[in-house]
Order: sequence, then C-alpha cells, then structure tokens
Amino acid sequence: MNDLRARITRIVERDRARAARSSAGEPRAEPSSERLRPAGHGRDALRELRAGAASGERQGSAAAVGLNESRGAPYEVRERRIAVDDLGLEIVGRGACDPLLLAHLGLKGEPPSAWGDVLFLDTETTGLAGGTGTYVFLIGLAHIADGELILRQHLLRDLGAESEFVEHLKAQLDPFRACASYNGKTFDLPLLRTRFVMAIRSELTVDESHLDLLHPARRLWKDRFGSTTLRQLEESVLDDGRVADIPGSQIPDAYFHYLRRGDDAIIAPVLEHNARDVISLVRIADHVARAVLAARTGRAPSHAPAAYALARVFERTGELDAAFACYESAYYDGDNVLRIKLALLYARALERRGDVVRVVRMLETLLDLGLGSPRWREQAEARIRRLTRRKTWQAALATAS
Amino acid sequence: MHRFLQRATGSFAPKTAKPLTGERTFHIVLGLMRTSVRFPARTSLEQILDGLASDRAFQEMVTRWERIPARPARYAAFPEWLDGRISAALRRRGIEELYSHQAAALESTHAGRHTVVVTPTASGKTLCYNLPVLDAIAKDPTARALYIFPTKALAQDQLAELERVSTDIDIELKTYTYDGDTPPAVRAAIRSAGHVVITNPDMLHTGILPHHTKWVKLFENLRYVVLDELHTYRGVFGSHVANVLRRLRRICEFYGSHPVFICTSATIANPEELARRQIEDDVIVIDESGAPRGEKVLVFVNPPVVNRNLGIRQSALLTGRDIAATLLASGVQTISFARSRVQTELLLTYLRARFPQPQWPSDLVRGYRGGYLPSERRAIERGLRDGSIRGVVSTNALELGIDIGALQAAVLVGYPGTVASTWQQMGRAGRREDLSAAFLVATSSPTDQYVVQHPEYVLDRSPEAGLVNPDNLHVLVQHLKCAAFEIPFGQRERFGTEDTPGVLAYLGEQGILHESQGKYHWSDQAFPAEAMSLRTATNDNVVIIDTTGTAAMRIGSEYQAGSARVIGEVDRFAAQVLLHEQAIYLHQSKQFQVERLDWENAKAYVREVKVDYYTDAGLAVRIRVIDEFEQRVGQRGGVSASGNRERGSFELAHGEVLVSTLATVYKKLTMFTHENVGWGKIFLPEQELQTTSFWCALAERAVAGWPKERVEVALAGLGNLLHGLAPLFLMCDPHDLGLAVEVRSPHTERPTIYLFDMTPGGIGFSERLFKSAGSLFDRAREHLQACGCGTGCPACVGPAYALGADVRESVAHLLSLA
Repeated sequence: MNDLRARITRIVERDRARAARSSAGEPRAEPSSERLRPAGHGRDALRELRAGAASGERQGSAAAVGLNESRGAPYEVRERRIAVDDLGLEIVGRGACDPLLLAHLGLKGEPPSAWGDVLFLDTETTGLAGGTGTYVFLIGLAHIADGELILRQHLLRDLGAESEFVEHLKAQLDPFRACASYNGKTFDLPLLRTRFVMAIRSELTVDESHLDLLHPARRLWKDRFGSTTLRQLEESVLDDGRVADIPGSQIPDAYFHYLRRGDDAIIAPVLEHNARDVISLVRIADHVARAVLAARTGRAPSHAPAAYALARVFERTGELDAAFACYESAYYDGDNVLRIKLALLYARALERRGDVVRVVRMLETLLDLGLGSPRWREQAEARIRRLTRRKTWQAALATAS
Repeated sequence: MHRFLQRATGSFAPKTAKPLTGERTFHIVLGLMRTSVRFPARTSLEQILDGLASDRAFQEMVTRWERIPARPARYAAFPEWLDGRISAALRRRGIEELYSHQAAALESTHAGRHTVVVTPTASGKTLCYNLPVLDAIAKDPTARALYIFPTKALAQDQLAELERVSTDIDIELKTYTYDGDTPPAVRAAIRSAGHVVITNPDMLHTGILPHHTKWVKLFENLRYVVLDELHTYRGVFGSHVANVLRRLRRICEFYGSHPVFICTSATIANPEELARRQIEDDVIVIDESGAPRGEKVLVFVNPPVVNRNLGIRQSALLTGRDIAATLLASGVQTISFARSRVQTELLLTYLRARFPQPQWPSDLVRGYRGGYLPSERRAIERGLRDGSIRGVVSTNALELGIDIGALQAAVLVGYPGTVASTWQQMGRAGRREDLSAAFLVATSSPTDQYVVQHPEYVLDRSPEAGLVNPDNLHVLVQHLKCAAFEIPFGQRERFGTEDTPGVLAYLGEQGILHESQGKYHWSDQAFPAEAMSLRTATNDNVVIIDTTGTAAMRIGSEYQAGSARVIGEVDRFAAQVLLHEQAIYLHQSKQFQVERLDWENAKAYVREVKVDYYTDAGLAVRIRVIDEFEQRVGQRGGVSASGNRERGSFELAHGEVLVSTLATVYKKLTMFTHENVGWGKIFLPEQELQTTSFWCALAERAVAGWPKERVEVALAGLGNLLHGLAPLFLMCDPHDLGLAVEVRSPHTERPTIYLFDMTPGGIGFSERLFKSAGSLFDRAREHLQACGCGTGCPACVGPAYALGADVRESVAHLLSLA
C-alpha cells in the first residue's frame, strides 16, 4: 500500500515536470491517438490519469483539434488501461469470484462466476432529478481482463444523436450480465433504463446481477467518516483525495456549455471526474473485500461500529465464526451504547459456542452498570434467567451422574 | 324557533302512517349498557312537505315550489359485442338491460369515438365507462385504461367499485390508485401490471408523465382515458389540465397508442365545447338520460329581510338549520350543504344542539369535509349508505360522485356558486322510485338573491359555460417545458398554440432547450413539473394568521385539528386593501386587526379586537389597454325597441390590459353611521397584472347633463351590479373577476367599466362576457327591478349610504339605455 502511494507520488512528480516542459513547447502525443489508444502500458495510463487534473487544459485544447477531425461522430470513446498491480488491487480482479464475498459487496442477483464478468460503471447526467428529461451523456465502463483494468468512457457529443449513442452503449453493455456501481441501484441504472426506452425502446440486462457498493461502504465507514460519498472515501479509505475536481453539481451546466460551444476543454474535467469515479469504485470494492477477508481470518475491523455492521452480514451469509469475531471485537472496542445494541446478538453468538458463563457475566455486568432501556433490561434479565436455569439443571445433572 | 317547525314536529307525531324507510331502531352503546332509541315522531317526507306547503310563515319565504314529476326508465339491450362474461355478471346483479344513455355511450366508445356523457347524478354514469373498459380488458388482457378523477377521494371510491365488479366477473382485472398516498413499494407493480390505473391530474402531471418510460406497458396499450367530472376542469385548473392532456396524448403518440376519451360531466351549457378544448378532437355528446327518476320537490327559500336599507336578511344558516332539523326529527335521511368549512362546523353544532343525547343517537348527524381522516370519511359514507347515519352536514366535498347512496332530502345553505353544483348537491337527494325534496336557502349575497328571485335560472337549461384557455401563455409555456422534458420537440411540432416554434426558439435562446438535429431537447438540471402546481395561478395568496390565541377556530367539532391558526387567505390584489397594517379584517363576523403584514412571505398576522369602526382603503387602479381584440356597439338583446331611441349608448370591447393597483391611504369609518374618525397611509408596492378584460364605455349622451359625481356614482353602482352577476355566466368565483371603473378612461375617452380576469394572461372570462353582454345586461335589469331595497343595497348596486342616495335610480336609467 505504502509502496503504491510512493509510486503514485513519484509518477505525479515526474508528470508535472513533463507537463511544465511540454507547455514550454515540447511536442506531445497526437490527441486522436490518445483518445483511442490501444492497450497502453498500465503505469503510463495511471500516470496519465493522475496527471489529468494538472494538464487538463492542455489536453482539452488538443482534443478540440480532435473534434474537428472526427466531426460527424456523435459520440466518442476514450480508453485507458491500468494494470491491476498498479491499482493496488489485492482481491478484486484476482483469482476466482467467491459468492459469499460478493454478498458482502452488496450483490443482488446471481453471483457472477469471474471478476471479468463484472462491468464497473458510473454515469454523468444532465441532472439529479431523474425522469425522462435527464440525459446520460457520459458513462465510464470498466472491466478486468488479463491483469488489466480496461476503462472505456463513452461521451455523447450531441443530444440529437442520442439513439446512436444508446445503440452503441447497448453493444457495450449487452455482453455483461453483472455490474458494479456506487449507488447505481437508485441512480445510474434507472436513468440508463429510461434512456434505453426513450432512445431505442430496449431493455437493460447489465444489472441482472448488481453489486452496489454504497451499502457495504456505509456499513464499514459511515459511522467513522460521517459521510460515504466516493470523494470522502477516496480521502479517508484510499488516502488519495482529489485535488482539482469539478464538483458534481457543476457537471450538468458544464455539459450544456460544452454542447453549445463544442469545446473539448470544457468537458475534459468531467471526463477526468468520471474516470476517477470508476477507478475509485473498483478500489473501494477491493477495500471492502479486504475488510471482509480479514474479518474471516479473525481480524475484525478496528472500528467498532463497522465490526458490528459486518457481524450482521456474516450472520446473514451464515459465516458464524466470522460473525462471532466481529461481535467480539465490536463489543470490546465499542462504547456502552453500541454494547447495549449488540449485547443480545453477541450473547447469542457466544451461546452458540457454548460459552454460557460469559453470556451471563456480560449481561449481568451491563445490568449492574444500569445501562439499557427498560425493555432491553427486561430482555437481558429473561435471557439470564433462561440460561441460569439451564445451567443449574445441567449442573444438577452433572452432580447426579 | 320557527312556527312552521313546531307545527311540523308536533302535529305529525301521532300519525306514523306508512313510514318511508320502515321502522328503524338505533342501538347505542352506553358504557356496557345497550339501549334502544326509537324516533319519537316518524313522519313521511310527503307529510312534512304537506305541512310546509300549508304553513303560511314558511310559504312567505318560498319563492318557488317546484314539483318535478317522476320519469320512467328507458332501457336498451346489452350490445351484442359485449363480452358474455360481463353481461352474465350484470344479470347476476339484477341488471337485465342498460339505460338508453349507457347503451348509447357503449356504442359510441366501441366505435372509437370520444364521448361525453352529460346526465344527472345517480343515473349510472360509471357504467358508461366501466363497461367499455371491462369489455376491452376481457377481450385483450394487455389492454389498459387510465381513469382521471379530480380528487383523491373520488379515486378511492371508484377503486372500490371496480374491485366489486371485477370479483363478479371472471376476468383478471388489476385496478390500482396511483397518487401521492401510494406506497413506493407497490408503485413498480402498478406501473407494469395495473390494467386500470386511477389517478388525479396532479399526479399525472408530476408523477406519471415525466416518468413515462416506467409506464411503457400502460402507454403502449392505452385504450381508454376516463375523465370524470369534466365540468370541474375549467378556469385556471382546467387550463392546466388541458395542457396535461396534451402532454398525455403526445406520450401516447410516442408509444403508438390512440386512446378513446370517455368524459362525464354535470349539466353545463357547453359540454361539447369544453370536451373539445380538453381533448382537442371531435366528441359525441350523450345527454338524454334513460335512468328513471322519482318525483322530486325543489323549494327555493329566501329568508325574510331584517334590515331593508342594508339589505340584510335573516341568516340562511339558521333557516337552513330549521328545515334540516324538521326533516331529521321525522327520520328523513337528510344531507345539508354549507359553503365553507366553518359554516359546516357551525351548522353541525347547531343541529347537534337540537338533538341532545341521550334521547337522540349520538351520531344522528355527522360532519363531513376535507380535513377529516380518510378512515373517518369512509365510515361516514358507509353509515349513510346503510342508513345508520341519518344526517350529514358537508362542504361541497360530498357533491361529486362519492357513493353515499341516495338520500331523501337535501338542504343547501347558500347558492353553491354554479348551477352545475346546485344540481349535483340537490341530486344527492333523489331516488329512482321514491319522492325526494331539496331546499335551497339563499343568503344576502347578490348571486344568491338573483338565483332565489329567478329560480328559472337554475330550473331551465343551464346558462353556465365551463371555460378554459389552454393557450394562456403563462400556463402553456410551463407545460411546454414539461412536454420537452418528457419527449424532445420536433421543430415543426405543434403544442396548442400556433406559435409553438416561436416559443421553442425562445426557450432555446434561454438555454432551457437545446436544439440539435431538428429537435429541441430539455437542457436544464431542473425537473419542470415539480416547480408548478395545477391548482394555483401564478399569483400567490396571502395567508391570514390569527395570533389571538388558540380558541379562534375551535368550533364545536371533535375533528378540529389542534389549534389551527390560519383563518383564511386572500389573493394579493385583495390583500392590499383588506390586509394592510392596521386594517380591520372581518372574518366570520369577528373583527381582527392586522398587526403585521409580511408582504414578501405573503403572511398577515392578525389579532381579534373589538372596535366600533371598520377600515376602508383607497385603491388607485389604473388600466392600460394594450390591445383591443374586438369591439361593437351594445344593443338591447333581441328586442329592437330602440327604433326611436339613439342606438349605441354602450360601446363594448374586450382585449388585453395591464392593471396596476396601488393602495394609498385608508380611512377609519364608524360602524352604522360611517363617520370618518381617522386615517392612515399604506406602504405597499404597486401591483401589476397583465390580463384580459371586458369593458363597456358609456356614450356621452347617456349621461348628458349629469354632474360628474352622479356619473361616478352610477358607474360604480353599475359596476357592482355587473360584477355581482357576471359569475352566474362564467362558473367562476366572484374573486376570479376584477372590477374597475374610470370616469374618463384614457383608452375609450369615456366613462368606462372594466371587468377583468384575475388570472395573469386571462382564462377566457372577458371574451365570454363580451359575447354574452346582452344577456348580462338583461339579467342586471331584471335583478335591479326585482330587488326589494329602496335605494340600493349590497345585493344589487351596492349600499346607498356608501355610494350616494341616487345610485339605484341612476343605474336603472343607464340600464334602460343598454
């Protein structure tokens, strides 16, 4: 991890220097080749991504030349390839897809069989309200193949050509039956579905299986960081905050401006923003997966509410040992409010392991401290009664035999 | 208490011959004890009417006692094409044949014609649309229908009805209401699976049309659109609805469906015109009812004059209460209508006081109005249907087709405002076989007085027209935006107005739309449908907030929600003169003083006071005529008696105007004596309203030789009279129409009276007034002649004490020339 950060810093430093040189007149790569570059080297691609903000203006004006060249094409595709190693992915994109793990990543639907079957996506739209008048003008699609993350951004350059654009998107989406998103269930996918009906009267199948990372992320980090916007998580979880980023609220207007002016420099920051979103989505998925795997081996999240939230999911997936580990960790690290919240669940986990003595001791301690609502105390007392009855009965049986 | 009432309750007590509804016993649970209460006097409606007819005191108040004879049913056979399962189900329910109008509606809709059914209350209108819809779904399970009702309550009622029908018939029919109360969890299922979706215009506007891609199944297979209570879609609201329907048709076009519209309407003068404007296509009107009708007695009651000069009559509320109490005491199931919520509560309180417990069942009379909980309302409706509730006091909430069965008698306290409403409310009493009765008790207001003195106005063919102006630019542009949001506009596409390309180009310049490849696309972050409500015009109202305490609104009802402190609202125009700071505002005959007027936030804070003066604000109204559409010289309607008289004492016109008003100063005038005891300045910004207006200018010779003061007085009086009567033609509220008089108008250069639309852009009132000015003047003449006051009262030209002693005479003179 530290190694990766160091590498990124180095890359950015180098890139800045290059940017400075090139603005001083050094020739640059052809813009059109940049737009449709075949599989570039991963490191380069990542560098380019990091440097995007710094060199955005220059890129943009260069791209304006590209606009003239490709006049008539109503949409454009930009591709970037980044090695999985460079992204620092440990689990996502490596090895087989574990269905239980996917459940932790917010899966709804059949689990996909391989990471390569999952399409990571993020859209940029002309508004947040939804409805038929909100267009999807940019979509970033990424999937993992041969150790690389292949990110393709599809930009609609002319609202009048929406049907061609959506037809094109359909060809991109159709091979996939699973997708991953950040809040896509309520935002991106309904909007995309609307566009499919509006433009080509077609249905969407890419989300038959859907990993919406918003909810897992909330479970793990909401309590700790207050908010779980991608921006927040980049800063707090990935330790890689954005420096120059166009705020989401300005994106629709930037696009309308771009439509009127046709200047690629206007839309460049939006493309950059979208690329960051998709890449962060992949990296966040990996971090969620890491937390889950760590908990399975007994290393529950150090933040108590996260451990507690994870424990609940482990119970749902039937991974009781992991659930226990998380409960235990949450109980010891948590404050009294959290303890009361999870004590009865934790008690059940302990009970399952036969550790009745600890259950009784824990509950009695909490009761002695005068914690919990009257209702909670009633339940705890009932639990103690039930367990001690069984215990004395067991003890009696033991002495009798 | 009235004499007639004592007689009515007293003298009939022993005779219990042939009660109409049969002996009914009421069970009241008092704690654990169960008691039976029997009505002391059970008298048939026939006997009560006989009693009233021979009661001289009562007869003095009656201006018309109309007996409408019974009418037998006209039947027609089920059409052959009707799905056998449906006719079988109808037969099981005892329906062997259809009424003639139902059969006609079926044939017309089956032929794919848009159809408007205009028949009275309880004539079986719902079958006119339910049968075609059921038939379509029976034959093709993918078929869909959309029902649009003006209110949520009606939608609920219709849902229950359709569910009853569909369980009878062996076809799969999924019916749902889709409105603000629909839980999000079931919305997805409704969108894809609902055969019949029941909604209201507001939900269609914000919840369905902008999300049409979620309703693909509905719009692709939409066969019928049902518009119930078409006559309620008039005025500003109706103009909005017409545009919502334009959007709906546009979306249907997009999905390739061409639904047939089936409308129902109360009796109005122009059902066909109104339907054409709403649907923008040819319609078939079916207005011959085949339903049977029992004998009906309609009684017009005008309470006696108490103060001749002030034109004040005995309270309609008290007179109405007495009539209702007489009926209720005899066990006649009675519905009473009051004009406002407060009046409803008052009437309820009065009636309850008449029937104390434990002699009378506690729920003998119930209140019903918006604001009650839905479950409560359902319980009352049920109680009315099964007869366990004998009396109900309601606002017009019960006027529309909510199923409460047919009652025996209706008492209308105050003219409901339109002939259509009057018939609907009176129609609440009326059975297919038995006798029923309806009483209309007039208040002192000009319209009430006109109606009660000219009952033929209600009894003859309705003169009212439902007016809409879907091309009002203020309304249209907002909907055009919504439509562009829904589906991009083609450059040559028409949306109502011929100038659609111009509007599109303008919105394009504003950056709200983006033109590309021959289409205009929505290019704004906003969701346009959310920014506008269908129920209000663009000008907002000032809310009146009582800060006296919590007691002000607690009027004897167990349903009164907490301490409601908003006591009313007034539009911005009227607020200038009624709610300026220090104004005395009269509300429910209580005095309130305005302590603070928050003009920006449209709130007036008032406190109850007891003072012996009222305030009268001077309002400077300026009218600038922007465009004159049409102009003609007024003639006496039909009668060419003007042979020896100079023609053209009036010049009539209508057009577009800019009305600007500025409240300047107010006077404090003592009650009764109207002495000036002080004044103050008003600091409010000038208000401007661009709208349409009707105006009439007096020829110089009409007032030749008159002093300027007399011209002023006559003009003001005539203005008041016309303004008071104009709503009779327009199906509008008096507040929807503004009045201004100018002794010398800069436009006509003569004394001129303006009657203008209070809605920005106008809604069509002015044009209608221009066209029917002849009858308006006829009505005015008749009304003035019939008015019982000596020199002028609020029910005709306005109070003589305020205007001048010669006001009535001068107005009469002017009218004789008109």
